[in-house]
Amino acid sequence: MATYEPLILAFCCHYCAYAAADLAGSMRLQYPNNVRVLKLPCTGKLEVNFILAAFERGVDGVFVAGCLEGGCHYMEGNLRARRRVERAKVLLSEIGLEPERLEMFNLSSAQGPRFAEIVTEMTTRLAELGPSPFRPARGAEEGVREMTKQAEAHLTDEAHGCVAA
Amino acid sequence: MIVANRKNVQEIRDMIKGHKRVLLVGCGTCVTVCLAGGERETGILGSALRMSLKLIGRGEVVVDECTIERQCDDAFFDAIGSHGAEYDAICSFGCGVGVQALAERFPNTAVYPGLNTQFMGLLESQGVWAEKCAGCGNCRLGEFAGICPITRCAKHLFNGPCGGSREGKCEVREDLDCAWQLIYDRAKNIGSLDKLEEIALPNDWSTALDGGPRKVVREDQCIAGLGPKA
Amino acid sequence: MDATTSDRIMVTVDGRTAEVPVGATILNAARQMGVSIPTLCNYRGLSCYGACRVCLVEIERGQGRQLVASCSYPAENGLVVHTETAVVKVSRQTVLELLLAQAPDSTELAEFAAGLGVESTPFTPKAEGKCILCGLCARVCNEMMGRGAINLYGRGIAKQVKTAWSEQSDQCQACGACAFVCPTGAVDLKTITSRRLRPHNTGYDQFLTARPCIDLAHPQASPRVPYIDRETCVHFKSDECGLCSKVCGAGAIDYGQMTEAIDLQVGSVVLTPGFEAFDATRRGEFGYGFAPNVLTNVQFERMLSASGPTRGHLSRPSDGRAPKRLAFIQCVGSRDSGCDNDYCSSVCCMAATKEAILAMEHEPGLEVTVFFLDLRAFGKDFDRYYERAQKLGVRYVRSFISRTYEMPGTKNLRLVHMTPEMKPVEAEFDMIVLSLGLEPSASLHDQAERLGVVLNRWGFARTNELQPLDTSRPGVYVGGAFQEPKDIPDTVMQASAAAARAMSLLAPARGTQIRTKSYPPQRDITDEPPRIGVFVCHCGSNIASVVDVEAVVKKAGKFPNVILAEHNVYTCASNNQDLMKEKIIANKLNRVVVASCTPRTHEPIFRDTLRDAGLNPYLFEMANIRDQCSWVHSATPEQATAKATDLVRMAVGRAGLLMPLQEDTVPVNNGVLVVGGGIAGMTAALALADQGFPVHLVEKGDQLGGTIRELHHTLDHGDVQAFLSQSIDRLRASKHITVHLDSHVAKVDGNVGGFTSKVVSEEGTIEIKHGVVVVATGATELKPQSYGYGQSDRVLTQLELSDRLGKGEFDLPAKATVVMIQCVEQRSEERPFCSRVCCTTAVRNALILKERFPKARIMVLYRDMRTYGFREAAYREAREKGVLFVRYDAGQPPVLEVGGKLRLKVREPALGQDLMVEPDMVVLAAPMTPRADRKEISDLLKVPLNADGFFLEAHMKLRPVDFASEGLFICGTAHSPKFITESISQANAVAARAATILSHKQMPVSGQIAYVDPDKCVSCMTCVHLCAYMAPRIGTDNKAEVQGVVCMGCGSCASECPAKAIQLRHYVDTQILAAVNSLLFAEPVEKPVQAPYPEQVGVAPPKWHKNIN
Repeated sequence: MATYEPLILAFCCHYCAYAAADLAGSMRLQYPNNVRVLKLPCTGKLEVNFILAAFERGVDGVFVAGCLEGGCHYMEGNLRARRRVERAKVLLSEIGLEPERLEMFNLSSAQGPRFAEIVTEMTTRLAELGPSPFRPARGAEEGVREMTKQAEAHLTDEAHGCVAA
Repeated sequence: MIVANRKNVQEIRDMIKGHKRVLLVGCGTCVTVCLAGGERETGILGSALRMSLKLIGRGEVVVDECTIERQCDDAFFDAIGSHGAEYDAICSFGCGVGVQALAERFPNTAVYPGLNTQFMGLLESQGVWAEKCAGCGNCRLGEFAGICPITRCAKHLFNGPCGGSREGKCEVREDLDCAWQLIYDRAKNIGSLDKLEEIALPNDWSTALDGGPRKVVREDQCIAGLGPKA
Repeated sequence: MDATTSDRIMVTVDGRTAEVPVGATILNAARQMGVSIPTLCNYRGLSCYGACRVCLVEIERGQGRQLVASCSYPAENGLVVHTETAVVKVSRQTVLELLLAQAPDSTELAEFAAGLGVESTPFTPKAEGKCILCGLCARVCNEMMGRGAINLYGRGIAKQVKTAWSEQSDQCQACGACAFVCPTGAVDLKTITSRRLRPHNTGYDQFLTARPCIDLAHPQASPRVPYIDRETCVHFKSDECGLCSKVCGAGAIDYGQMTEAIDLQVGSVVLTPGFEAFDATRRGEFGYGFAPNVLTNVQFERMLSASGPTRGHLSRPSDGRAPKRLAFIQCVGSRDSGCDNDYCSSVCCMAATKEAILAMEHEPGLEVTVFFLDLRAFGKDFDRYYERAQKLGVRYVRSFISRTYEMPGTKNLRLVHMTPEMKPVEAEFDMIVLSLGLEPSASLHDQAERLGVVLNRWGFARTNELQPLDTSRPGVYVGGAFQEPKDIPDTVMQASAAAARAMSLLAPARGTQIRTKSYPPQRDITDEPPRIGVFVCHCGSNIASVVDVEAVVKKAGKFPNVILAEHNVYTCASNNQDLMKEKIIANKLNRVVVASCTPRTHEPIFRDTLRDAGLNPYLFEMANIRDQCSWVHSATPEQATAKATDLVRMAVGRAGLLMPLQEDTVPVNNGVLVVGGGIAGMTAALALADQGFPVHLVEKGDQLGGTIRELHHTLDHGDVQAFLSQSIDRLRASKHITVHLDSHVAKVDGNVGGFTSKVVSEEGTIEIKHGVVVVATGATELKPQSYGYGQSDRVLTQLELSDRLGKGEFDLPAKATVVMIQCVEQRSEERPFCSRVCCTTAVRNALILKERFPKARIMVLYRDMRTYGFREAAYREAREKGVLFVRYDAGQPPVLEVGGKLRLKVREPALGQDLMVEPDMVVLAAPMTPRADRKEISDLLKVPLNADGFFLEAHMKLRPVDFASEGLFICGTAHSPKFITESISQANAVAARAATILSHKQMPVSGQIAYVDPDKCVSCMTCVHLCAYMAPRIGTDNKAEVQGVVCMGCGSCASECPAKAIQLRHYVDTQILAAVNSLLFAEPVEKPVQAPYPEQVGVAPPKWHKNIN
């Protein structure tokens, strides 16, 4: 398992967690490079099926980071997100996947070090849990690269059945 | 509205055991409104089911989802149309009516329920639904100030509260309002307390499920040759 | 690029060719191309010495190759360089092995060597030493500092860096440059300089840590531009150095900047100079300044900050240990006539409470004690917070502390405090925090004089209670703590209010200086397939030194739909923006991805570039490969590059699905509906009418004024009734204001900018159209149920006493005894809030009584005297004039017997005995409670109430006068109990906030809002129930619709809609999933399925999600 590097997707709120990640950058804090951040306007925009979709595609872990409770820019988006994460955890355990692969965190935009801590914590946790069973069989870092390659290949125009907005 | 809630992922997975291609069919009416079987929930369960199957080494099973306008009319199944033949099992995310309607429409395909149909009820507050009607076939709400003692009194009492009504709450369940307290309060508000003094006769349960399978026939709507079905 | 100009030459490094200036070394050329070469003895801005030989590279020479030191070898035209060959690697490793033997003690060198694959040395190491004799220290000292305090002496094995005669040098200026540049940590400044070394502690971390002399002024500095501390900068002191200007690639250092005087023509001035914390050294007895473990609360706040010097961990400055026992000493420099600050700083009690709670969260098991005099938790919900702190275990001890003693060994601090029984006890703490008072800056004295503004005796701007925003000079207004110490919400309120005062004056000039930028028409891209341009930024070396930008570009070029992939040194530079614009047009790009820094700062800039290029600004996506990649993964460049590629791919995936969004505008009705005709409603109406907005003021009673009809004097002797009648006259005279008496609002429809309301009176119902609503329904004094109120005419409330005193209908036997009981039926379980005004009202009424009946005995029974701000002076005056203040504990309230004589018994906690009094009159401080009709208003406007029944604002601290729903505002005592002066401020603040909407003819509607597909909507009401802003509603077709003006764009509704009928524009499902899919997607893509025969049946196509194998 020495070569296994987990791949983690983070759904971050624009106002807090994403800003905290930026602050961690300005502070030049060093943390593991296993996380890919997807910015949302508010964690209230997080849907249960985004989480499931990410796991189905083969990420090893997902974390959701929203504002401190009571500090949501949109009043209660982060509280809703927490409920959805809890629900997704129940679903994960019904599926048979460790619910610990998913976590919700709350932090403020001033908590750059906390963001680095969260990334480190999740990376360690997922390293212990081992690769997701939905990864390709190789399961090692190579697997991620392989998937990446496939993703590049499969991102064809067909995927772009745009929703007319 | 018919209120339902979802079954456990593993339960559904075990139900569809042995099938190779499964179609999950959501329903766009009651169960969408009660957040159990609409497009969103069907999608979530589809994703969960695919992962669950993979984990038991059945990753080759195809699980597709499709949500249609309404499952309680055959016409809307036309939307599935010939695609239905591609699947050897269908799992309905509609109420029990929908499951059976699907079974009728696809006679050669296994049909399973994805939901547990609960009752006819109302949204109490966001995320909370409460039963309001038992469909007993003999509505007597007029006698009880518009509050149904059959569904809302834990003991289905017709003639006043039991001895366990405490400060408006039911002795059976603390979170339950005493239906008779509600009936009394409402009757008082609308000035019909005198009605409560009359003895309410026992219900005629023959119009309810006790009378066997039920059917409603509207002769004026039955056009010769087309119905009612025998 | 092919033609070589006279001052440019072409060089090839690792297969890439680039143009570099003549005279550049190979190292310069490589850095310019983003190729990194390790160095030890090289430092930008210093001369080349070629000492360490770590920077060896191979160059092609005729048939063969040659190893040269890249730092010193000048690049020639056509030169071909290899930096990563096996020969280069081995040579560098050998060099490092030799250096390791030379400097066996240097951990810095060992780390550097390990980075290049050298873990140990085969050579026999020297016995000790860290120096590799690279001479950087000597060069910086000579070349930059002009000092020459150190140099390389001796030859061969005797060579060493030292000062003249190896003695501590007077030449050395202790600037520390030598230690800073030394790559191996070999410089020990103490052996070099004869001067005393001091850490350069600055205000950035509240003097807790040493910081560079070029730094941001403080963490939230705006603009975020560093400044040079001229007091310590060598260049400013001796004209030497200037290293920063040589190192800064952007050429941003300008030593010639001077203070500039700018002449401005303005119509009004708002003074917001803020406050300064009391200088803790003036109260040296607490140990600040010499006892390291005594901190100010400002320092402690910084220490608690997650981005602070200890990253939020508590640590004792003396030894870095986490404290176990922490004490706060309140009122340091406040309520202290010894240093002329005999006012209360208002904020410290709650600040200490907050810091105590935070500290306990940071340091589990921490014991916190707060030594206080009166706990002044007078604000909205403050008492609840105070209760919470006590429940969490914060110990509050009511005791004056006179000094602390530092323990010599442990550096702990001891102090003596009083127990409730007034027994002195000694206690020891690991750390002490001083809650400093708020003072106006001393420099304001001169400035105020120049501005012609009169200050009060403490140096704050002089205002009066009925005109809290106006200084002594017309047109000059004051906001924030310069008027009186105040906390954040009060400051925000008052600052908005000052803006309103200025706007009243300047309303005619509004909008006269606006210039609008024009953009080319937006290209219609509806039928075009995505054509994405990817621009990857080096950000100087911020990204390129870690991430292999070229590799990212190469990969990005192959991502789907990518037409163009490029890299720039600074993508945000204006010339590159112009270039980007040209590229968009030339390549017919219809989506743009920039991989650089954070969208939080730069997205608006690039969106503007898109608009300039005729593209809709929403066709833009950013990948954050600096803040969230290169900066945080600098040690692992390879993985950082992989991550950056992933991030770009995710961005490209999402970008392909981005759609142009229209930013609509809706017309704004500039009318105002004010509900409530008390002082707050009247003030808001006048302030808005002064700005020219039509106002409808609806009062349910038959006259204006509300509660203040019963008030006659402010604490500063302002005549309230005169003020009221003036206000009513102005109101009546204003052509913009319509007053509706005996009326109530029955219905409010619409949303911000376009409300329609029904106002009902006996004369009928009228319809009013308006753009905003102001709630000013006020509060009322509760008639108490206790202390025999209503049973005896000698028991009355403070408001009744005020009214009778004001009207002069009041008499008392000359030697009468009056007892005032504070906190009646409030700060209790039933009403756990403080009414804020009662302590001051009691003091004011006591003073009036004392003046009229000098021989009367007046006794105030209190729990905490909450005479905050300048009210403290009146409290002091009352004590001086003989008013007796007796404290009682909440657990043992006074007992009053009514019937015949009044008999009052109260337990004095310090004496531990009951006091018996036979008062002639008892005055009760009854709570200020919200009006009975609050629920109707709350339902009518769909605005929330807090647990005490007061209206709940959008944000307790930052948006104190706004409701969460746009266009609705709150002021006066309906918000929370407050003084007249505070109601006036808040009402003005509402006027300013409302004007931000009303002053626009059109209001923009963001493009990023939710929309409902009515065909999919099942009218389940989920969205209507959950939206915090009430944006979705059920339309005339019984389907949900989102009101664009109200929608804030959070997407909560879209995430819950069970029929997936709602999408949030710019974050639609497919766009988000496309990003996830592009990150990794081993499965084939979902394909939309055509329904077989929807047309024949008349059935809508189903919503298929079919996985095609």
